[in-house]
Amino acid sequence: MHQMKSRIATGLLLLCSVTAWAQGLNGTITDENGQPMPGATIMANGGARGVTSDMDGHYALPLPAGQHTVEFSFVGYLKIAREVSLSVGQSKTLDVRMESDAVMMDDVVVIGYGVQRRKEVTGSIAQIDSKQITSVRTPSFEAALQGQAAGVQVSQSSGVAGAGSLIRVRGVASVSAAGDPLYVVDGIPITQNYFLRGNSGAMNNNPLATINPNDIESVEILKDAAATGIYGSRGANGVILITTKRGKAGTTYEFSSSAGFSNPASLPNMLNTEQYLTLRQEAWENDGGTGYVWLPGFTSAGDSPETRKAAYANALLTNTDWVNETVGTGVKHNYSFGVRKGGEKHNIYAGVSYDDNGSYLIGNSYERVSGRVNADFEPVEWAKIMLSSSLSQGINNRIDAAWSGGLGDAMSNALPYYPVYRTDTLFGADGTVQSLPGDYYLYQDEWGGTKNPVAVRESKTWITTENRSINNASLVLNPMDNLFIKGSGGFDYMHVREDIYNPPSIFISSDLGNANRYANYVLNWNYSLTADYKMDLTEFSTLGLLAGSEFQRTDSYGYGIGFGDVTGPVFENDSLLEIANGQTTVNNPSQHSFLSYFGRANYTLKDRYFFQGTARVDGSSRFGRNYRYGFFPSLSAGWVVSDEPWFESGTISFMKARTSWGKTGNAALPDYARFGTYSAPDNGILYNGQPILFPLQPANPNLRWETSRTVDASIELGFWNDRVTTELAYYNKLSQDVIMNVSTPPSTGFTNRWDNVATILNRGVELSIKSRNLIGDFQWTTEVNFARNYNELQDIGNYTPDAVSGGTNDSRVIPGSPVGSFYLMEFSHVDSETGLPVYLDRAGNETFDYDNNERKYVGDGLPDFVGGMTNTFRWKNWDLRALATFSYGAKIFDSSSKRQLGVVTSWNMRTEILDRWRQPGDEATFPRLTLDETTYGLPSGFPWWNTSLFVFDASYLRLRNLTLGYTIPRIGEGKHAIRNVRVNASVTNLFTITNFPGLDPEVVRDFENAQDRNMSPNVTYLTPPQERAFTLGINMSF
Amino acid sequence: MQTTMKSLRHIAGIAGCALLLTGCDKMLEFEPGDVILAEDAINTADDLQRMLNSNYDVLANLLNGRQQCIAELLTDNMARPYSSLDYTAVWNRETNFFTPTTGGLYTDFYYAIYRANVVVESFDLVEGLDDATRLRLEAESRFVRAVCHWYLVKMWAYPYGFTADNSHLGVPLRTDAVAPPSPRATVAEVYAQIVEDLEFAKANLPDENGPYASSMAASGFLAHVHFQRQDWNASQAEAERVIGSGLFQLDDDLDRYEAGSDSVLAGDLINPETVFGIIGGYFAVDGDSLLNDRSYAFRDNFRQDNNLNPQMTFSDEIHQLFQINQADDRGAWINSNEVTHKVTRFDGKQFFNVPVVHLTGLHLLRAMSIAENGGDLSTAIADINAIRDRAFGADQNDLGPGSDAGTVLAAAREEYRKETLCEGWELDQVKLRGVMGEDETVRGAPWDCPGSLLQFPNSSTTAAGFILNEEGGCL
Repeated sequence: MHQMKSRIATGLLLLCSVTAWAQGLNGTITDENGQPMPGATIMANGGARGVTSDMDGHYALPLPAGQHTVEFSFVGYLKIAREVSLSVGQSKTLDVRMESDAVMMDDVVVIGYGVQRRKEVTGSIAQIDSKQITSVRTPSFEAALQGQAAGVQVSQSSGVAGAGSLIRVRGVASVSAAGDPLYVVDGIPITQNYFLRGNSGAMNNNPLATINPNDIESVEILKDAAATGIYGSRGANGVILITTKRGKAGTTYEFSSSAGFSNPASLPNMLNTEQYLTLRQEAWENDGGTGYVWLPGFTSAGDSPETRKAAYANALLTNTDWVNETVGTGVKHNYSFGVRKGGEKHNIYAGVSYDDNGSYLIGNSYERVSGRVNADFEPVEWAKIMLSSSLSQGINNRIDAAWSGGLGDAMSNALPYYPVYRTDTLFGADGTVQSLPGDYYLYQDEWGGTKNPVAVRESKTWITTENRSINNASLVLNPMDNLFIKGSGGFDYMHVREDIYNPPSIFISSDLGNANRYANYVLNWNYSLTADYKMDLTEFSTLGLLAGSEFQRTDSYGYGIGFGDVTGPVFENDSLLEIANGQTTVNNPSQHSFLSYFGRANYTLKDRYFFQGTARVDGSSRFGRNYRYGFFPSLSAGWVVSDEPWFESGTISFMKARTSWGKTGNAALPDYARFGTYSAPDNGILYNGQPILFPLQPANPNLRWETSRTVDASIELGFWNDRVTTELAYYNKLSQDVIMNVSTPPSTGFTNRWDNVATILNRGVELSIKSRNLIGDFQWTTEVNFARNYNELQDIGNYTPDAVSGGTNDSRVIPGSPVGSFYLMEFSHVDSETGLPVYLDRAGNETFDYDNNERKYVGDGLPDFVGGMTNTFRWKNWDLRALATFSYGAKIFDSSSKRQLGVVTSWNMRTEILDRWRQPGDEATFPRLTLDETTYGLPSGFPWWNTSLFVFDASYLRLRNLTLGYTIPRIGEGKHAIRNVRVNASVTNLFTITNFPGLDPEVVRDFENAQDRNMSPNVTYLTPPQERAFTLGINMSF
Repeated sequence: MQTTMKSLRHIAGIAGCALLLTGCDKMLEFEPGDVILAEDAINTADDLQRMLNSNYDVLANLLNGRQQCIAELLTDNMARPYSSLDYTAVWNRETNFFTPTTGGLYTDFYYAIYRANVVVESFDLVEGLDDATRLRLEAESRFVRAVCHWYLVKMWAYPYGFTADNSHLGVPLRTDAVAPPSPRATVAEVYAQIVEDLEFAKANLPDENGPYASSMAASGFLAHVHFQRQDWNASQAEAERVIGSGLFQLDDDLDRYEAGSDSVLAGDLINPETVFGIIGGYFAVDGDSLLNDRSYAFRDNFRQDNNLNPQMTFSDEIHQLFQINQADDRGAWINSNEVTHKVTRFDGKQFFNVPVVHLTGLHLLRAMSIAENGGDLSTAIADINAIRDRAFGADQNDLGPGSDAGTVLAAAREEYRKETLCEGWELDQVKLRGVMGEDETVRGAPWDCPGSLLQFPNSSTTAAGFILNEEGGCL
């Protein structure tokens, strides 16, 4: 900061001094995007004369006549040298476009509780800047990390507005405890609960949705133990540090806006009425039925042939495309305005934004309004006050999705012969009129629920409102040279309220509606105190020490109010609310805290040998006194080989090797899992009028951290003067005492128990390459990252695979297989003679018997390889950026296929079912159609055909983003000039190459809990596909 | 170097301050709200009593029709359920470890067993617990434990006598509340523990104890248990003990399911036949009348007066059984349109008491035992005729005094089947006849076909080594 200020001050002085210059060199310095670069240094002849560029990137360097070597430099950019020849009295203009330095050894990287020069970093850290985040338009900022960093697997959720992503850093290392990385915003570990409302409406709340991506300066992803060790008990699944923008010298206004629309990246191919009836009739006849088949919603099997025939004919009169009724075009637009201002003793960043993100699901949108103020004040040289505060509100206009309704209904129980609106009058059993022509046609699904996706969408009111404020105040003292003492206090407030009103029009026989409000509050306080000291031990060695402590407490509260009979939307009408009789249920508060002591020592020798040790002691309220505190050390070292005097290579311009070992932990489990508890209810649960007392949960006083021991080694190389840079890393992470919420035999008196049970291995390699393929006027840069992770659940104690399951997703814990393995009956083929499905038992023998005891590992949702490739082309003021992401080797369990492509039921089916067996000799993908699940060997009444037939290859290559931009360096002159304007057009998810026959090979469905989230990646169940979005945007600063 | 050392001292001092500022273990102490920590749960005799009450609470939630419906579906008494997938799976005898209804039933029985074991193991936690209270609590707990083990072993294992030494697999036998899961014990071991627990209850409880475990209730269950063990003498003796006690009387009418209201409390409506039963309905609590529904599974599955399509309807075989002699008043329990035979036994009843062990059953059990052990047939005939007089009218369909043992046995079995319709006891008869070598089938399949036993829930297999029942084979 001091350096920056002095540069700017020097520049300003020089600017003043050169107003009367006689001759010399002038021009504009821009970056690779054509953006002006203030503060760049222009030196002539080895430092004899120098100036810095102004806020517009302009410079004016006085030079005498003669031959000069002029160097242009800026931190993080490659130094450029130009030969200039001036005659007497001559002035020349020389514009320079800087290119970023791939190695950026002097760049500053944010690490835990501090910053470090990139050169000194001994851990594995991926840095992503604000441009990379804002360049891809996503429902939530974290989705923009996809494909940007090796070893960071980002799977964007469904196309539902506001949906989050699933991020895994170097694989899955947890089973029942949350496996997400720790998110830290400006030093505060933030609330990241995805299950405040469970999976209500087939959607998990996204705790990151209210963060404005335009506020983010950079994101650092800490991957190995050397980097995450300082976060000790919470670093096992990686740490994502989010640094927001702060003020800078001068005054800069930033404005950006975009508008666009979106459609689904793919659409389901459901049968039309004629197809469905034909197949249903075929199934009926295959089963021995005669006459016309009975039709769900119209007739039953016991009806007379005449009745069935008439219903069949009636059904043919309607052909509703329910998918079309639920899917449309999402409109989106956003506006963001920020100001950066800085001076000698203060600087400030203030930003506001509005984002309205409509999804392609009709009626669904997510609106975010946010504001942030980050201010720094330095009243005296030895003290600095830093304040960060954000306030945001997210309003999610909800719709039912997936299994909850909407498009999910269109893909399942909404049969094509059901009309949207009635064309006749419906009478009740007592002869009263229940519905008139033009009313919604309401049908019942197999569970007895009243359905009609259009009626529900148009009539139901469902709004989730999140208010979020993340605040931090720090005081930094500098009592002596190189000693910094920092005290911080943070407060993260989250309030999520969900209001639902179901009007009577979506019930078959009711004159009243019902309403519910669910409110959840999470209050998260954080205090930390650190002391940071750097000293020169000798001329060639320095020592940096950091010591600190931290305390964090999180309180969660909530309540629900249910209104059984209301006449209107009570939450939008105070008069209705006043007379409504609500039943309030107050959730038990939940609290937890962490108390931590930590230290870090960095030793640097000759500016090329780097050593680091970290240690952290964490105490957590989630553990009993037996195992309350955990110790998490790490050791690491780095060696910049290319700085050795003996190192000479014409090819290799940079070489750095580093290695680390460390221990990290995970304590992300429910707050009171360790307690044995009893209940003595006073809510009327009595037997014979007598009070009762009974156990709720078994105690486990020995519940402790799950710990990961990680070894990491990497080598960074630069070739041909860093024209090509690479980083190759290897890691081996062994996670032990992994926490499982084990399903216990009922004979123990309980059905589940939290325990440290499993061992998980994650081992992998990561490769990053950045290549400047073409330089000059036409530039082409390619960045590739690639990661291979091997995941194995090595041990689950004396338990069986069914001990832990991923919700309803048929994923189990199978020793020797990855976390997230599918445990199903293996399908072999369709018998060409009988048309029956042939299965394989565990021994591999073919059988017609479907037997759950023969379930086995049939694939997993973890990819063998993931990565991304970004190609950037620049020509003059134009730039074109293409980001492709890929995943190879993962399977996807298309769980809804078991109904869409299985037994013919009251679900509509997909057109793939047309490839079914029809007569002896047929070689078909799907067996003979049947209405009787026992035909396939299933228990009667259970048409849930869970077989490997629906486990598909989920490999894909996706053009994630394509952006074309044009930069206008300057509009206008003088004080009110707009220094640069960039307009861009982008497409997200333009195309996907995949063999997956379902909707979207990249899927994150709704999960029931953290365990499900860990265990069921790549399971889809009527999950809406991602959107394909087209956006026009403009960014400007002035 | 001096400067360095000075700096290090600064650092150490500051670090120390940091520790002092934030270091406090109490800041890591949070306890869950609205629950009682296990270590604080049981301190007084009252706590033990409340814990024991919860055993009865679980038992009431099991015997409110849940267990009875499942047992009935495994016999020829019932037609295919109307729509319930789980009930259909039971009726088809194709339950698997994903069948939630049977899994829930199994789990709840072990909840009661666990709680009973907790009571028995917690006496030392209560200071000054008097011996009499301790003995009563233990006896009642062991009664609940025995009853639950017995229902489990009857439905999840082949019956006593299936192997000569009963070494075939039974169910996990739990006599303590420790955490490790148990494998399946043998049927011999399970029955031995059941008898031991019931004998303990019989010896240490009063003859009457309201709706709770009593010595007579233990004898009533022992009569059933010994009958299943084909120990006819012991069964007869236990039945005679209850019948002869004079504490219970056969009801004058055919309705043992007494329904109360908010003004007629359930506890005042215990049927005189009831040796052990479930109280379901209204209770008086602190002057208020509170509803506690313990009859819902009967009501919701059988009633036809408020449900067009009840899940549970009688089979054609039962319908035919009552067609033989239409003077049988119990025929009114059927409302048949010749296709569907709906159950009227619970019509008009919303909340009612459920007799589990009752005098009618014990009379007929005694009659069957006598017929099997060659005892005094006149007692057996009197037992049967007492039941028939009530059903057909006095002396209208009596068994003749000279009837032989075979006739007596057949008559007793028929009356037992009729009287216990919807109660689940016929399953015991099916298994007993089967294991005795009689040609016993259920819906055309051998009584012991694979699938005739309920499958254990998936959760029971989460500990390695648990052996499941064989599935399928009854269709």
